[in-house]
Order: sequence, then structure tokens, then C-alpha cells
Amino acid sequence: MKDFQIEKESRGPVQIIRLNGSLDMYSFPRLEAQLNAFFRLGQYLMILDCRNLEYIGSAGLGALIALAKQAREHNGDLRLLNLPERIYKVIELLGFTKVLQVFDSEEAALASFQTN
Amino acid sequence: MADTPKGISVSRQDDRIYVRVVGRGTFQNSQPLQQFAGEMIEQGEKEFVVDLEQCQGMDSTFLGVLAGIGLRLREIGCPSALRVINIGGRQMESLRTLGLDRLFDIQTGRQTVPEGADFCPLADADVTQLTHPLTKEEAANLILEAHNNLVRADKRNALQFRELTRSLREAIDRRRARGRDKE
Repeated sequence: MKDFQIEKESRGPVQIIRLNGSLDMYSFPRLEAQLNAFFRLGQYLMILDCRNLEYIGSAGLGALIALAKQAREHNGDLRLLNLPERIYKVIELLGFTKVLQVFDSEEAALASFQTN
Repeated sequence: MADTPKGISVSRQDDRIYVRVVGRGTFQNSQPLQQFAGEMIEQGEKEFVVDLEQCQGMDSTFLGVLAGIGLRLREIGCPSALRVINIGGRQMESLRTLGLDRLFDIQTGRQTVPEGADFCPLADADVTQLTHPLTKEEAANLILEAHNNLVRADKRNALQFRELTRSLREAIDRRRARGRDKE
């Protein structure tokens, strides 16, 4: 199992966070700490690039929803990009595509914030 | 050991049920274990040993299903009757985080299952080869029940899983409302 890694990139007011490895109960606190650090700076426009995400646990999904709602309370959002099909199927299976917006391209994800 | 099938395999030896997890334990293969354990407890089995030596990780739903087995055993007067053996450091941390170290009997150090234990794979318990994946309703109900078990096992889990359980309930309600509309 690959170690979980996070890379950050700013695109104007939007923060892109690229995830690599498995997002489980063990690794999730690292992502949560990173997102909370952005929130403390008043940055609530977030894109999680999941292209290299190998796995996400059910608790991690619940926590992502909580963070997305927290961002929305401050006129922001947390949106998902490049979800591997198997992970998208899990999110869709649980009915969470209603609460987490998913995009196939970085341009579309960035543009979605401009149209808000 | 080399030919142990992936997924969840079980064996009955000396009035104990042995459960071996090879690969990941996730919401996708939790239901066969939940059903099997429920049937075994109904038949009077009171002691379970879960071998995690070849387990590569467990999600909270899988742990919630294990918690449900532990809670059921406690209800019938057999506390600490779910023993966990050969647990890795990372998995131990997950159990501690969820307070399950107080529900399960966790054996440290290398433990072996009895010689001759004949393990039989549970149907559809290998997440890499699912033949009958859960329906949306089954998945949501299973995950909700598993996380409710985690909260029953340790009240401190309520806050951590509040958003997940709320979102699942909302998804279940939406689906039911759509079903009613179609009728």
C-alpha cells in the first residue's frame, strides 16, 4: 500500500489538493488538518484531485461531506476531480453525488467556482 | 497459508469460529460476514477469533460489523468473546481510535490457528471479485447500521460519524420518497 501523500497548488482563489494513495481512517486526519489550515486562512474554495487516489473508506467519505458543508457555510465548496471509476461508483452507490460535486476536468472544476 | 483465498474465510474448531481476513475488509464484503456471524450466534456459537495477519486494511463499516458481533455477544452474556489476533500496528490504531480495544479481546504477539483448521471462503467476500455487489439500499443500510454499532460501542464516535450517518439517512429517505412517488 502506497503512503498517503498530499500536494497543494493554488489557482487564483482556488486551492487544488492532489491526493495520492489511500484515504482511510489512518491517513484522513492529515487531509483534514490541511483543509482546516486553509479554512483558518479564510480559503474555502477547494478542489480535491483524486486521480491517484487508490481507496477511500466510508468514514473518509462522511468526513469529506462534513468538510464540504463547512466550506459551503462560508460561500465556498469542496469539489472532487478525476475520481477513479471504482471510487465514483462507491460515492454514487451511497447517494453522495447529491452532496459532493464531481468533475472530470480541472478546467470544468475551476470554472464551476467562477459561475457561482 | 500461500493458497489462502482472498476475502473472508471461516472455520469452526473446538467450539470457536475462526474468521480470516485476506486483503481488505470493507463495506463491500462486510455483509457476508455479518450474515454468517448472525447465523452462527443464532445456532449457539459464542466465541469468535478474527485473524488479521493477512488483512491489508479495514474501513469503518467493516469495523462496525465486527463491533456488531462483539455487541451481540456481550448482550447474550459473553463479553470479550470476539478475539482479534495477529493485528498490525495500523489496524490496532484504528481499533483504539474507535474504542473497540475495550470491546474486543485483542491478543498481541503471533498467534496461530489450530492445525487442520479447514477454512471455507464466504461467498462474495473478495472485494476484487464481487459477483453480487450490494444494491444502493443494501449498502446504505449496512453502512448506517455498522456506524450505529460503532456509536453503541463508544459514544465518542457519535461526533465523528455524525455527518456520514446523517447523509446516509437523507439518501435512504430520498430513495424511499422516489419509490413512493413511483407507486
